[in-house]
Amino acid sequence: MAKTLAMFTDTSVCTGCRACQVACKQWNQLSMEKPEWTGTYQNHEHFTEKTWRLVRFKEKRAEDGRLKFLMMSDVCKHCAQAGCLEACPTGAIYRTQFGTVNVNQDVCNGCRNCVSSCPFGVIAFSYETGRVNKCTFCNDRIHNDMPTACAKTCPTQSIQFGEREELVTRAKKRLAELKVQGEKEANLYGVDENGPLGGLNAFFLLLDKPSNYGLPEDPKLPQRNVKTDSAFSIGSALLLGAGLLVAFRERGGNGEGGGEE
Amino acid sequence: MVRAPEWEMYIVWYFFLGGIAGGAFFAAAIADNFGGRRDREIAKVGYFIAFPLALICGALLTLDLGTPSRFLNMLRMFKFWNPMSIGSWGLGAFGVFTVLCAALSLGESEERLALRRNIAKVGSLFGFFLAAYTGVLLSNTAQPIWRDARLMGALFLASGASTGLASIAVISYFRGANLGESWSKLKKADTFAMVVELILLFALVLMLGPAADPLTKGRFALPFWGGLVALGLVIPLALSFVKAGGGKERTAGGTLAIVSVLVLIGGFLLRYVVIMAGQL
Repeated sequence: MAKTLAMFTDTSVCTGCRACQVACKQWNQLSMEKPEWTGTYQNHEHFTEKTWRLVRFKEKRAEDGRLKFLMMSDVCKHCAQAGCLEACPTGAIYRTQFGTVNVNQDVCNGCRNCVSSCPFGVIAFSYETGRVNKCTFCNDRIHNDMPTACAKTCPTQSIQFGEREELVTRAKKRLAELKVQGEKEANLYGVDENGPLGGLNAFFLLLDKPSNYGLPEDPKLPQRNVKTDSAFSIGSALLLGAGLLVAFRERGGNGEGGGEE
Repeated sequence: MVRAPEWEMYIVWYFFLGGIAGGAFFAAAIADNFGGRRDREIAKVGYFIAFPLALICGALLTLDLGTPSRFLNMLRMFKFWNPMSIGSWGLGAFGVFTVLCAALSLGESEERLALRRNIAKVGSLFGFFLAAYTGVLLSNTAQPIWRDARLMGALFLASGASTGLASIAVISYFRGANLGESWSKLKKADTFAMVVELILLFALVLMLGPAADPLTKGRFALPFWGGLVALGLVIPLALSFVKAGGGKERTAGGTLAIVSVLVLIGGFLLRYVVIMAGQL
């Protein structure tokens, strides 16, 4: 088993140049899309089936009253406990030997259950192909010992690629540095393997609360309640079954009805 | 920031008709096995409803995929913990039981009857499953409303029962069947299902708390309160209790038919508002 690969996106050094977004499009041959007006430099509003790396620009008013950008290059998180993978009924979504989550385009049948089950709204349906798309973690590149296109191209090393263990160490060190420099709100998102979703294989260093970047504070595996919900359903079935049985039961003679009386 | 799966009318119709198919089938199975001679007519109607609806359900799901042949991809896995995966298998299995029971309802021989009853007993488990699993599927996604609705499966099952019984009543009425006391049994069963459904609906909304707002306020407030709650549950329940006095059999059947049409409208609106409000 190969070692788990990861991407560490350090938003503190992101300059919003969007080289990653372009590199992703180029390498993965994702065609052009109509731009959207989002009110900031960000384009698009959210991931699409053809935008797998997306630089988010969030405006924040600093203490001195000036506006500053929170910039973050967002991507599929390749969760250790992945909602999309759990949701997929065909087995099209699978985990690679590197721990990344991928969609087998030949098997996907377009049911969109994964779309409804991604806590981050990453995976997107394409009406052109009738299948879903998302970041592949440059599956072709990592199987040939190359880093992902976005990490390779990032001029400020905001996106770092490597073995997860090593990157986690690096991220923790970087966080400590930033704290010393006075970035009180800085935090690591998705590093903890015992944390939400078993840890994210694309994790982040944020300068503000996750919700200010549009990320859920405490993402949860959507399928964690299957047993509970099924139990409630079985209870409902027993109740209605019993009710209907009483309603239809033949009183008195009960000649041939045969039954539970 | 979650993304809506864009499940539209195919899925609304599937959830609605699947509920009816499952409900009509298990109601039929219970009437067939535990009821009297006259209840067999109800049972047959139930089987004849479930069989074509199961086919239509399969067609709706297949159409929703855009490329129908890709439905076969569902059958390369059996993920028993995944509602959509076992849902596909369950619908297929349910379809087999409905074919058998509908076919065995064509003759009158005692052997066929006995065989049909036994097959229906097993098949009813799949009927319950079909009516409920769609709710469990929704409540195990990341979408607002759905993800917090622990009782969605239980509620859909109750709605499947009420709409299944209602469809049996409507069709029996228009066939002009002489059902005798089976009318009152049907009515009793449907009233019970409606009461359970209403209670589960309120429990679900209460458990959701503020998360229920897209459902109970805004553009879906009217179909929810006016359509589902008032027209689909409260009014039919009131009608059932007011007319409980009795009267002639035919009038009793007529009232039940009106009640049943309202219940069917309510059952459709339930699936509609839940699916649409979760994807706002």
